[in-house]
Amino acid sequence: MNNPLHLLPTTRREFLKLGGRGIGLLAFSQFAPSFLVESTLAATPSPEKDRSILVLVQLAGGNDGLNTVIPFDDPEYYRLRPTIGIKKEETLRLNDTLGLHPSLAALHALIKDGKAGIVQNVGYPNPNHSHFRSSEIWETGSASNEFLPTGWIGRFLDNACAGAPGSEGADPVAIHLTNEMPQAFLSDHPHSTFGLNGGGRGGNRENLAFLEKLVRQDAHDENANASFLKATMMDALVTEKKVQRVIGGYHAEAQYPGNSFAQSLRSVAALISAGTSTRVYFVSLGGFDTHSNQLNTHQRQLQTLSEGLAAFQKDLEAKKLDSQVLTMTFSEFGRRPNENESRGTDHGTAAPLFVMGSRLQGTLHGTAPSLKLSHNQDVQFSTDFRQVYATVLDKWFSCPTDKVLGKGYAPLTFI
Amino acid sequence: MKLDLTPQDAWQPLPANAWNEAAARHLLRRAGWAAQPAEVDRLMKDGLAASLDRLFPAKANPMPEPRLIANIEADQPGFAAKLRAADTRDQRQILQREQRERQQQAVQDLSIKWLQFASLPENAVVEKWVFFLSDVYVISQEKVQNTAHVYRFHETLRQGALGRSPDLAKAVSRTPAMIQYLDLQDSKTGTPNENFARELFELFLLGEGNYTEQDIKEAARAFTGYRQQPGGFRLVKNQHDTGPKTIFGKTGPFDGDDVIDLAFGLPAAGRFLPHEMVKFYLTDEGLPDSYLAELGSWWQTTGYDLRLLAQRFFGSRLFFDPSFRGNYIKSPIQFYLGLVQDLNLNVAPFQRHALNALRLMGENPFRPPNVRGWVGGRLWINSGTLSARRQLVETLFAPIDEDTLNADEQVQLVAARSAGLSNFTVTDERLQAMLKSMNPDQITARFLDYFLPVRVSETFRTNVRTFLAGDGAPKNDIERLRNTAVTLLQSPEYQLC
Repeated sequence: MNNPLHLLPTTRREFLKLGGRGIGLLAFSQFAPSFLVESTLAATPSPEKDRSILVLVQLAGGNDGLNTVIPFDDPEYYRLRPTIGIKKEETLRLNDTLGLHPSLAALHALIKDGKAGIVQNVGYPNPNHSHFRSSEIWETGSASNEFLPTGWIGRFLDNACAGAPGSEGADPVAIHLTNEMPQAFLSDHPHSTFGLNGGGRGGNRENLAFLEKLVRQDAHDENANASFLKATMMDALVTEKKVQRVIGGYHAEAQYPGNSFAQSLRSVAALISAGTSTRVYFVSLGGFDTHSNQLNTHQRQLQTLSEGLAAFQKDLEAKKLDSQVLTMTFSEFGRRPNENESRGTDHGTAAPLFVMGSRLQGTLHGTAPSLKLSHNQDVQFSTDFRQVYATVLDKWFSCPTDKVLGKGYAPLTFI
Repeated sequence: MKLDLTPQDAWQPLPANAWNEAAARHLLRRAGWAAQPAEVDRLMKDGLAASLDRLFPAKANPMPEPRLIANIEADQPGFAAKLRAADTRDQRQILQREQRERQQQAVQDLSIKWLQFASLPENAVVEKWVFFLSDVYVISQEKVQNTAHVYRFHETLRQGALGRSPDLAKAVSRTPAMIQYLDLQDSKTGTPNENFARELFELFLLGEGNYTEQDIKEAARAFTGYRQQPGGFRLVKNQHDTGPKTIFGKTGPFDGDDVIDLAFGLPAAGRFLPHEMVKFYLTDEGLPDSYLAELGSWWQTTGYDLRLLAQRFFGSRLFFDPSFRGNYIKSPIQFYLGLVQDLNLNVAPFQRHALNALRLMGENPFRPPNVRGWVGGRLWINSGTLSARRQLVETLFAPIDEDTLNADEQVQLVAARSAGLSNFTVTDERLQAMLKSMNPDQITARFLDYFLPVRVSETFRTNVRTFLAGDGAPKNDIERLRNTAVTLLQSPEYQLC
């Protein structure tokens, strides 16, 4: 009798063995567990340049950029924010005019070490103030009046460019640690991507084992859709088990805070450290939509962000994986420069974003926005978000930018 | 796909000797959401022809207007006045933001109310048909914003769903939702907007390749001056182009209705809707043109009667052909409503059950991704959406923890209960009742026959039976029964119909 918890193949070898009894390899080869099938057919080691990994950190809700990177030398800042402005002496100095929010101490230390950087005032023309739409613009990499069916990561995966993943490994090419698949992952061609819900899947082990048994079963004369469903489900179950095992058995070299954001980053570190050939990870931290009484909320959010990122970087360094990983934050928009009547801020436009990694150059990129603004006027962006993407694609992934972004964008110098 | 039927035989009525319980279940799952035992019994008693007559009646039941929609409609003049009276841009923005939030709540409420309405066995088949039509004549609340218009649009589909197709197309062209969705609002003499005319030909009536760019340009002129206004449709005479137009080779001072009649004069119009039906109801692989042409030319002779088309389609030899049993991947809405019917549940009144699950599975009611509607088929399935489907099944077997509901949800729960809805999840009492009335073999048979669309192998059946029996300890009976049901509903087979 088989051990019911090990009914499914978790390696290519097991998969091949299984092909001999029951689920035929050829029956599947048209459809999914494509990563298993293709690597079985042509198992080639991936070249070193294909090992670069991107970790996207979404700050959902619209992070208040002006209270993240604070222009303490600008009287306009305190004019716009009489009650929620961060006092000059509280900020963590970056230079003579700019300082970080006091709860970003860990990130500040990384910047001092050259392991993290800031791209200032990132946005796009004709900004949209809807969470949904502006997230879509950021994730699809579109212009404000353009609707793209695919995401910028999805198009990266689609591309046959040198740095793009294809069939090199037995792992999903992209993993999101969010409940929903990010729009950024939507692609023209199918790829093996995987979603790892924050809390992990419910359901008990007995059910999972029984489900695995049923998936393995020849239930009936199968049509193409039935085979496709079985293959996809088996794919998901194989990956799920593998991923859970990797995460469950992980020994981190850094103390991660207990919050779910930091734990998600810990899971990412576990997967990277296990040699998973995944190229892109997507992690999300929600709660940045600070319309009222934002001081405490925003302080907690930034602290969560900063401590989580710092633990992640420290862990990767201890495991000597840091040179392989680039981490980048983004948010659908910044917030209105002037505070509102509820000591909060409404939806705005451009904002700074963070990059983190051991192979960065420089720490402060782009220019800060002008704050000579009237009531409810938004800042004007100075760096297009697609320039940031172009930098990542071109210098980190060695992937032709125009194929992913539709045209070329002047890259920045952070890599 | 291998079809033994010729195009001529394909649409002939199913012979009486081929009508059996498996066929009845196939019909109920495809035309509706699931094969409930009582409905199967009724179909067997009535026979196929009489059943189709009942399932596709002359007139659809109207859907009661949700209260939030009624409120929006009642407040519309007041809101417009307030907006006009607002002094500053800020005040207007605040008003508009409030209104957007209200519309957002209204569309969630509308979605729940529609799911509740569509889940009733007496509405299932017609509501799926209306849903199908809304996947042809697509609008989205995302763009239309006004949820009352979205509701009225679907009422228009419902009222015309079983009448003549040209009448429905004309009615749709006059709805405020469509006028706004495809930009007729700003279309006027001299500067016609081509959006509606293009989609009318490409996606609503004919399909690509059956018209020229010039046909679209000329047709767009015929729809100039179509406006929405409180209370409905208005043709603004001085913005309507009355000049001669040449469309499909015919010239005249055509108006919008004429354009629709001209389109229905083409053979392509007969093939188009059957083609969409095949994709929505039968197979994502489509059918060869000869089969569509056969049905289309007959349909044309009926004056494009939608009720007759549906009855012929769902009564045909082709529909019941073995190639089309258990080959279709359920859409998220079908998966959800199928579960509700299979488990004899009521749609829970709050967002986090039904609507969150639908969003995670990839289908937001009243918000299709674009004017093409949902593509469906295998695109519904990936590791993330499968995980969401599995999660949904587990949710439906776990009691609602009322302590964790927020204030809005508490109110919604009370309201639903006072409307007689209370079966939101499968309770231990229900499992207990099943255990009392059936033995393990009967339970296995009931699950496999009614949940799964295919006849499973003996080993599969034995596995299920063995898992159900477990260690035999009576104290675990309920647990094992629940686990068996949950797992079968999560299985690849249950994703098909």
